Amino acid sequence: MHKVIQYRSKCIGCGICYELQPELWRMSKKDGKATLIKAVGKKQVFILSIPDSEVPKSQEIAAACPVRIIKII
Amino acid sequence: MRKKQIELLAPVGSFDSLQAAIKGGADAIYFGVEQLNMRTRSAQSFYLSDIKEVSGICKRNGIKAYITLNTVMYEHDMQLLQMILKEAKKAKIDAVIAADFAVIEYCSQHGIPLHISTQANVSNIESVKFFSRFADVIVLARELTLKQVKEIADEIKRKKIKGPSGELVKIEIFVHGALCMAVSGKCYLSLHTQHASANRGACVQNCRRPYIVKDAETGEELMVDNEYIMSPKDLCTIDILDQVMESGAEVLKIEGRTKGAEYVQVVTQCYREAIESVNDGTYSRGKVVEWKREMEKVYNRGFWEGYYLGRKLGEWTPHPGSAATEKKIYIGKGTKYYPKILVGEFILESGSLKAGDTLMVIGPKCGMVKEIVTNLIINGTSGKEAVKGDKITFPFATKITPADKLYKIVGTSHA
Repeated sequence: MHKVIQYRSKCIGCGICYELQPELWRMSKKDGKATLIKAVGKKQVFILSIPDSEVPKSQEIAAACPVRIIKII
Repeated sequence: MRKKQIELLAPVGSFDSLQAAIKGGADAIYFGVEQLNMRTRSAQSFYLSDIKEVSGICKRNGIKAYITLNTVMYEHDMQLLQMILKEAKKAKIDAVIAADFAVIEYCSQHGIPLHISTQANVSNIESVKFFSRFADVIVLARELTLKQVKEIADEIKRKKIKGPSGELVKIEIFVHGALCMAVSGKCYLSLHTQHASANRGACVQNCRRPYIVKDAETGEELMVDNEYIMSPKDLCTIDILDQVMESGAEVLKIEGRTKGAEYVQVVTQCYREAIESVNDGTYSRGKVVEWKREMEKVYNRGFWEGYYLGRKLGEWTPHPGSAATEKKIYIGKGTKYYPKILVGEFILESGSLKAGDTLMVIGPKCGMVKEIVTNLIINGTSGKEAVKGDKITFPFATKITPADKLYKIVGTSHA
């Protein structure tokens, strides 16, 4: 298992993660930032476990994020 | 010459810069909130909860506060946008600076004063007339000449184009700071290379890098005179400020919300003095040389007067970053203040400090203060050199807290 980590406070709401991977991301209408669906979060750092099969796509999303707030470990 | 009523508008990216702008003599400041402003990536942004405090500080100091909400707005931004505008109205923010029609519409509906951002690229009187239905101040595109600015300002008077306040629409222009290689910020370079839309405030500054021209067939690299072929020098109009003030523009804006408090204070102060000098007839070449020397000490990519005098091509900077003649090195932070004797105590966390060195303190209460250390008191006694771990004290007029950062000023290779 791998994890997707989102440092949400620095999100600028560009929507590229949602555009490329809508199954994991949605855009919050409340504050305009990206929300990692079903992630567990504390102090604006959100973590979601993903299967190995989703790692390449998630890495692509991490690289696409213009403010580099998505990490895959 | 008749005295011109000019508003000097300074950039604010932090509470330090806010104090710096006030001390520099700004008549108004502009700042971004959350992610809906053009410096989202690079500036230390303010949050919704800061709006009231920023507004309060400005009102107590008798200056105006404007919020920049000038990115492209997406559907998912609408609620945040409304929250920011609601808070702005509650805090009696003087105006919102915007280009997106969603912001224009909301401000219009809720009676929030509006300024049209340079992102709208207003370049002619018909556009001014259109936006006058919504805004009292219009920031013109940065690529116009002073002659074009004057034609627009004259037409406003001739046609009596008024804004929602019932007053004639005012023209605002940029007088100092970074210029974009694209027309007033309409750049898509970083969106192409890194999904980072400049129009969402995420510019990665591709234009500031060196480039080579390569023959795709042979792989041969071609010589380019200046490898920073897309990086314009910074706009500086202090040596044509008399002409700028004759153009009819009534608000003069300084760029630089991402820059340090020292930049904000020094540049604001120089333009403040220059405006006063033009007004009282003491504006001179000698003063201009002095002001430019001061401004060269803080962040700059070299200066040119932009497109105002009708130059067709930009002047490109030969430097990778700033060409400032001085730089600040972080050495410590404030620890204690002795209010009865007006002395501040700082702890050195890195580097060293000798008597005769120039210090800079930057903080949310003092803005920027620069002074030469004449008598160095280390851990309570007079000494020659303070090092990491030492506590130093010196007279300081404003209360010191750990939020006050201590820097040493040193010359750079550009000095």
